Amino acid sequence: MARSTLQFIILTIIIVLAQVIVFNHVCLFDVAMPFVFIYVLLRLPMSLNVNWVLTAGFLLGLLIDMFSDTYGMNALAGTVLAQCRQYVLRLYLAPEEESSQQETSMHSLGTEVYAKYLLTMTLLYCCLIFVIEAFSFFNPVQLMLRIVASTLLSWSIMMGIDALISKQFGRTG
Amino acid sequence: MRNLLYFLLRYGSWFLFGLYVVLSGIMLFNTNPYQHYVYLTSASRVSSTVYGVANNVTSYFSLREINDDLQRRNAELEMQILTLREMISRRDEQLAGDTMMVDTVLSRYRFIIGRVINNSINRRHNYITIMKGTLDGVKPEMGVVDQNGVVGIVNVVGPHTCRVISLLNPNLRLSCKVQKSEHVGSLVWDGKDSRTARLEELPRHATFAKGDTIVTSGYSSVFPAGVPVGRVIGADTEADANFFALRIELFTDFSTLSMVRIIDDALGPELKAVETDPEEESNIY
Repeated sequence: MARSTLQFIILTIIIVLAQVIVFNHVCLFDVAMPFVFIYVLLRLPMSLNVNWVLTAGFLLGLLIDMFSDTYGMNALAGTVLAQCRQYVLRLYLAPEEESSQQETSMHSLGTEVYAKYLLTMTLLYCCLIFVIEAFSFFNPVQLMLRIVASTLLSWSIMMGIDALISKQFGRTG
Repeated sequence: MRNLLYFLLRYGSWFLFGLYVVLSGIMLFNTNPYQHYVYLTSASRVSSTVYGVANNVTSYFSLREINDDLQRRNAELEMQILTLREMISRRDEQLAGDTMMVDTVLSRYRFIIGRVINNSINRRHNYITIMKGTLDGVKPEMGVVDQNGVVGIVNVVGPHTCRVISLLNPNLRLSCKVQKSEHVGSLVWDGKDSRTARLEELPRHATFAKGDTIVTSGYSSVFPAGVPVGRVIGADTEADANFFALRIELFTDFSTLSMVRIIDDALGPELKAVETDPEEESNIY
């Protein structure tokens, strides 16, 4: 348990660094921006208290805000995403399945459910972040395009990360 | 009492959720960029350290473009020096015998050279982080330029780093003029493209031609007059019929920023004191 917690903290640090140093500066075709740090939030164990998930979402968002000068934008979106997480999970899992699960991973949920869960949460996050950002400008076509393109890009990268690290996590968790 | 406890336990997460939403909402809707806390921006110790390390690696990548820019700028400046030298020698001949000093006027501005450690161009509100802070004499509301033209205005300053509102940020409005006709307008970025911006609020009778240079007006102490900003690439639509707008191609390439100069105006505080009238409200006639 302690070992997997430590692993999770290291993973969090690596992903946050990757987000602020690399992914924050990526913008494909002027529309697609990868938001990869939410992977940490999505991988928190299902048995974890909602209050902790909320705190993690808020602090993680605040950390990203600090680095990218977005000032409260990611913190707000992260909090809302953390609150929605339990409902999205409930959407895809039967109640008895939910209580028996400990961790949120491809190994425990099955590839299809996990991919759907990841996609729903990413779409939700991209919607939140771009709608919050769009308060000052409003261009519905570009907004839609940004949401869809960023969701697909972030989702693909997160599935890639999953493929890279799932072996280690599957063994210990 | 028991019911209340039960209620709080059952809906506790919603209270926490509300608290976090209000906290981030307060930060998000605090629209004055000069009121941000330094430790929550990219000028804070943690983020500037991380960006400093990352920049040590990535600063080598665009050296070729920067070198080309510098060479071009160097050539321009050499030409200017030649013409100025010629002018001075001609004037010296005219003013032979007159010994008035002009040095005091020239020493009004001082440059602080800084390295860009973080920069974004793909957001709606873009900011730049620079490795110079209060210890180097940087203060909020100082202008920042690079070898090509205007970059932005300093807004949050830490001891070793500062954050600059990029020209690519709609919070920044820059007073500019068309160099030939001296008509003054307001330059603002409209979030479309990192290479262009809009010059708004130009009077209807202003004349311009494609390719005209746009420079700063010098109406504030932030930038001296005549700093190059961009060139006109065409007319743009303006909502108000009394004014019209121009589309400007910016000289500064924000995607390859590396070394910038922060302008310290010695007359800045004095100008500010003179321009803020303490009895402004009571003096409306």
